[in-house]
Amino acid sequence: MVDKVQAELKSAFSDLTIHEESYPECGYHLSLDLAAGDLEKAARFFDDRRFYLAVELCVDYREYLEIVYIFSIHSSLCKVKVTLKIDPVNPVAPTLSKVFDCAWWYEREIHEFYGVRFDGHSDMTYLFLHDGIDVYPLRKEKVLVAEADRLELNSFSPEQREDSLSINMGPQHPSTHGVLRVVLRMDGEYIEDAYPVLGYLHRMQEKMAENRTYQQFLPNTGRMDYLGAMSYNLGYVTAVERLVGIDVPARAHYVRMIATELNRIASHLLWVGAYLADLGGLSPFLYAFDDRENLLDVLEAVTGSRLTYCYFRFGGLYNDVDDAFVAGTKAFVARMRGRFALYEKLVGGNVIFINRTRGIGVIERELARKCAVCGPVLRGAGIGMDFRKAEPYAAYAEMNFEIPTGRNGDALDMYHIRIREMETSLDIIDQSLARLSDGPFMVEKPPKKLKPRKGDLYHTVETPRGELGIYIVSDESDKPYRMKWRVPSFSNLMAFPELAKGNLLSDAVAILGSLDLVIPEIDR
Amino acid sequence: MEQILKILDIEGVRLAVGLLAVFLFVVVNALILTWAERKVAGHMQLRIGPKEVGPYGLIQPLADAMKLLGKEIITPRNVDKPIFYLGPIMIFIPVLVAFVVIPFDSYLQVRDINVGILVILAFSSFTVLSILMAGWGSNNKYSLIGSIRSIAQSVAYEIPLLLSLLAVIMMTNSLSLKDVVVAQKGIWFIFLQPVAFIIYFIAAVAETNRTPFDLPEAESELVAGYHTEYSGMMFALFFLAEYTNMFIVSAITVTFFLGGYQGPFLPGIVWFLLKSYFLVFVMMWFRWTFPRVRFDQLLNISWKALIPLSFINLLVTGGLLKL
Repeated sequence: MVDKVQAELKSAFSDLTIHEESYPECGYHLSLDLAAGDLEKAARFFDDRRFYLAVELCVDYREYLEIVYIFSIHSSLCKVKVTLKIDPVNPVAPTLSKVFDCAWWYEREIHEFYGVRFDGHSDMTYLFLHDGIDVYPLRKEKVLVAEADRLELNSFSPEQREDSLSINMGPQHPSTHGVLRVVLRMDGEYIEDAYPVLGYLHRMQEKMAENRTYQQFLPNTGRMDYLGAMSYNLGYVTAVERLVGIDVPARAHYVRMIATELNRIASHLLWVGAYLADLGGLSPFLYAFDDRENLLDVLEAVTGSRLTYCYFRFGGLYNDVDDAFVAGTKAFVARMRGRFALYEKLVGGNVIFINRTRGIGVIERELARKCAVCGPVLRGAGIGMDFRKAEPYAAYAEMNFEIPTGRNGDALDMYHIRIREMETSLDIIDQSLARLSDGPFMVEKPPKKLKPRKGDLYHTVETPRGELGIYIVSDESDKPYRMKWRVPSFSNLMAFPELAKGNLLSDAVAILGSLDLVIPEIDR
Repeated sequence: MEQILKILDIEGVRLAVGLLAVFLFVVVNALILTWAERKVAGHMQLRIGPKEVGPYGLIQPLADAMKLLGKEIITPRNVDKPIFYLGPIMIFIPVLVAFVVIPFDSYLQVRDINVGILVILAFSSFTVLSILMAGWGSNNKYSLIGSIRSIAQSVAYEIPLLLSLLAVIMMTNSLSLKDVVVAQKGIWFIFLQPVAFIIYFIAAVAETNRTPFDLPEAESELVAGYHTEYSGMMFALFFLAEYTNMFIVSAITVTFFLGGYQGPFLPGIVWFLLKSYFLVFVMMWFRWTFPRVRFDQLLNISWKALIPLSFINLLVTGGLLKL
């Protein structure tokens, strides 16, 4: 695949040099630097070959701003980094929002953080920040927000029209789980348009990362997606280990996978409960929490926390697991396997539940690709993409598990996929437990100070919600020069306005729930 | 004793005492039901429910009531004040009237009116009016959508409710509730009219806005629906009305289908309460088991399934009676 794309790129852009990169080191295969005029042509090139835009981000290199586009494809492993250098004094770039829907969001983010204006973009209002922030926060030098730009950033106002009703769903709404605000334009009970408003939980994690050493930032990772903290931990730790080049002992790998998969089950269990509560059935919530409580006890004994874990360290683990943990995990696995029949009776087989979710929020493959939807939502659309298989990290390559996929892409499929994913997680835990042998849980000399090589890395892992991409630029110091988090809930949210259109208000709740959004992760 | 009975025989006194007793019953019933609901919910959800306040948490609803009484009644800006205040008060009228005609026992009935069931059904339509007042007067979009839903729902479900009772009335030839009970001396109407019973009970759950038909107050969509803006005692009145309504529809079900106060060994009032509270329990059971249906599905159930079915039921009943 990589060779084919490289050859085709060569013929399409004959005057450009296409660099072949070392995938294990950088996390992408090819890179090319474009001029602004070529950008849309390149985007269409990738669009035609069914690539998706995994992330669009900006790096301030002082002499120039670099906009980075990572293109990736569902069917095989091929990643291309496209860069565009722009002038830091008067930063203007062409927009890709006409080709890829997700670029519309990423460009708004870049605009408010770097002051880059995108030609042809339809909405340049604040996405995460708010009025009163007078500098572009992620620029390396202090750059004040120009008056014209400030007015444009503040120009959002929910459209008031005579013939329709606009409703604020959130930020304090029972079904948005956290502080997501969606402005719905309604025609009676039908939704004409949905406009998500973000930033109520924005903490500027990416700026924090630039001001902390790699070790110091580690606890922050669990605060982004508080339901999948272990996956974030693992993603960050494996990314930095890959950048520095640390080999982790086998025992640490297996324990990491057990802990991460347990966390994934906890996250899915919470989703099942919360989703049913959204649909009006309150009892399954308590049943799911009963299971989750058992699981948290197991994890608490070894990690010391119940929600925002910080268990992994660069080179291994914080502490070793004991026999009690192994026994507890085995007991939980046995218990959990027997519980699926109960969930099927209580939820999966319920006629009202099936009628509420079947055919609702159907994700088409094309929409999934344009919005770079990921995780169970993408698998619901029938695309069997899982980074544990596609780009194995830790010791997932040794594991034998299936990737559940759906057929219709509706909310009912998402439910079944998450239930089956819990089963595959149990399989992985079983296999990891069987391979768990004595040995060190940490490298012999844990690094005191991390000084990675100069360069960048795009590392992806699979969290309970999907593709988590971590883009790190290192300047050989002990702090990252730039760290970008490509979060799964954000790209799943991008599909929501399209899914909600023309549906009932009750369906909007069912669709929003089926996407399994975690707002602190989106807002970072 | 005789004197007391004599005084009670006077029409006015009987009515006054009856109304007072009804009012007391409404309050006590709501207290018991809130406690029961929390206990039932608790045990269905692997919890134990309230247990700290009083034995088995029995005083808990009283404590809740005191809390609600002590709370400030907040009047949001821009509400339509007369309508806003009238809503929760109005919701109580049909509730009180319904109790007047229900026979708790052969002698325990405030008044036996020969159009008893008509009175109940006519007054229960008032509930919609007060919900509309609450929704409109609150000047809140969620409340408004909640009350609009409630009206559509009530209109749709009153028809099967009425039609299913009509089948029974065709068999008894009387609209008096007492006559209906007496007619069930030999066999309960649930065995003669099973279809009507099922239709009536489904429609009754919908009429009381309980899960799975609790769309007017769907908390995950509409925050709290029509009573979003109410606080303190005003909210408590809605709450009280909901629980009383639950009892009333159960009592009517018992009167029409389950032989009313009749039963062996125990006194009539005990049988009546036992049967009614069992049905209330069934409604709680529904609530803590099912998710909520969608709005259009809700209306479809009524217009496309329940109403045609009850018409067929009426036809069959009429045909069999003629034979």
